[in-house]
Amino acid sequence: MVDSFYWITLDLIIWGITGLYFQQLTADSKQIIFMIISGVILWNITYRAQSDISLGLIEELWNWNLINLFVSPLTFIEWVVALVTLGVVKSIMSFLFGALVAFILYKVGIFFLSIHLLTFIILLLMTGWWLGFTVSAIVLRYGTRVQTLAWTLVWLISPLSAIYYPLSILPVWVQKIAIFVPTSYVFEQGRNLLYNGVVDYNKLLISFGLNILYLIASIFFLRNSFDSVLKKGLVKVF
Amino acid sequence: MDILEVKNLTKKFDKFAAVDNISFSLKEGEILGLLGPNGAGKTTTIQMLLGVLTPTKGTIAYFGKELHENREEILEKINFSSTYTNLPWNLTVKENLTFISYLYDIKERSDRIQEVIDNFRLKEILDQPLRELSSGQITRINLAKAFINDPKILLLDEPTASLDPEIAKFIRDFILKQRDEKKTSIVFTSHNMTEVEEVCDRILFINNGKIVADDTPDNLMKTIDETTVNLVIDKNNEKPLLDYTKHKNWEIKYEDRQYSIHLKEKEIAELLTFLSSKNIPYHEISIDKPGLEDYFLKIARKNKFREA
Repeated sequence: MVDSFYWITLDLIIWGITGLYFQQLTADSKQIIFMIISGVILWNITYRAQSDISLGLIEELWNWNLINLFVSPLTFIEWVVALVTLGVVKSIMSFLFGALVAFILYKVGIFFLSIHLLTFIILLLMTGWWLGFTVSAIVLRYGTRVQTLAWTLVWLISPLSAIYYPLSILPVWVQKIAIFVPTSYVFEQGRNLLYNGVVDYNKLLISFGLNILYLIASIFFLRNSFDSVLKKGLVKVF
Repeated sequence: MDILEVKNLTKKFDKFAAVDNISFSLKEGEILGLLGPNGAGKTTTIQMLLGVLTPTKGTIAYFGKELHENREEILEKINFSSTYTNLPWNLTVKENLTFISYLYDIKERSDRIQEVIDNFRLKEILDQPLRELSSGQITRINLAKAFINDPKILLLDEPTASLDPEIAKFIRDFILKQRDEKKTSIVFTSHNMTEVEEVCDRILFINNGKIVADDTPDNLMKTIDETTVNLVIDKNNEKPLLDYTKHKNWEIKYEDRQYSIHLKEKEIAELLTFLSSKNIPYHEISIDKPGLEDYFLKIARKNKFREA
């Protein structure tokens, strides 16, 4: 539970100080620090949602407890829902805590994003879920020797998400890849709201569609990995 | 009434058959011992019975219903304890039991938790996280977990491993009490043969993935016709005895002033007639009856021989 507050605080301090430095260099200072701080807080939602799902599984493997779960009447779907729920609760707690710290330290109010914030949060959570399911599916197949993915996979899409910079700054070929990354639309529209005061919901709809597609694929992958583990024996996964 | 019925159960890993077309059943209130050498297929069988390993072939039916199709309904009524699983180490004993009670959706939760706490003498360690406990204490908690839903069928994989003799005896008595009072059926594996003899009504001997024997402990022991006769005789009578055992091809050992002669049970009379005819007096005599361990060793030896 401590990590829900620890990492967000550390990120806010490091990126906040960086933002303060940029504030001194540019005229457009207020929006820059807002962009960086809101980026930290919003990206943390995806990171937490993903890692809480993956670490939920990994902790059961560390504890040798996975069998105890699946010799009980618990169903696969109930287990997945429990991991997602835990992830949502911790993500929201971490988000609220981060928003409070950002306001206290930098006078940045994330709730400025008003009702759009809820849309952003939902889309970012969805990305965290399919990433979490993908990592869990891989860990189920290959065991804890690939557990590092639980901490690293999410960062693979972070450069493509354009959290702290506009997508247009990336090379064209990277931009072409980024259109398949749902989070890139969220951060682009966050900046759109910040600089132009509008949100293009058509873009967010693309993000939603991609998230749904990836969620279906990742749940299928997870179920498939679980079935393949049952063929080897759940006791052999560690 | 059979409450567990296993038919033609097979598990192959690539071409290797870990469990090879086994069939057996379990009656209400019966304690069935699953025995066999390491790698015989016991754990594979138990895992398939729990639904955490998919069989290659065959069916498993509890209470007349197929496990695969009625998983949740069946698993509510069974439970399991083993040395190769653990409960979360960071949670306290009470937190673990509470968590498990939610998994089984137990009614009157606090009463039931209190009951297993009392039954397994966990009161003193209730607020301690599992990481601080000894292996014996953790085994008791695993057993408490296994009994928490008052199961109709229990699968116990070495339930008394790492327990001190007093607690192990207590657990054995508890298991027998559950069987007598609540008609709980139990599938039981152990390497402690005395324990198996004491607890099990019936034994399935598994070797190379196949059932090689299915009988009561008494009947299995009867199939061992070899025995050991221990004698104390004067040293000056040693030669005729040694000559005779050599002639009969019986194995003889001398240890602690005592001769131990390994022979078939029906040959005991022949040995005693020989001693009497040669006027060889013995000061002490005892006969080691064959036990389940002898049966186990016989099967294990056969296995080794086949592997060689």
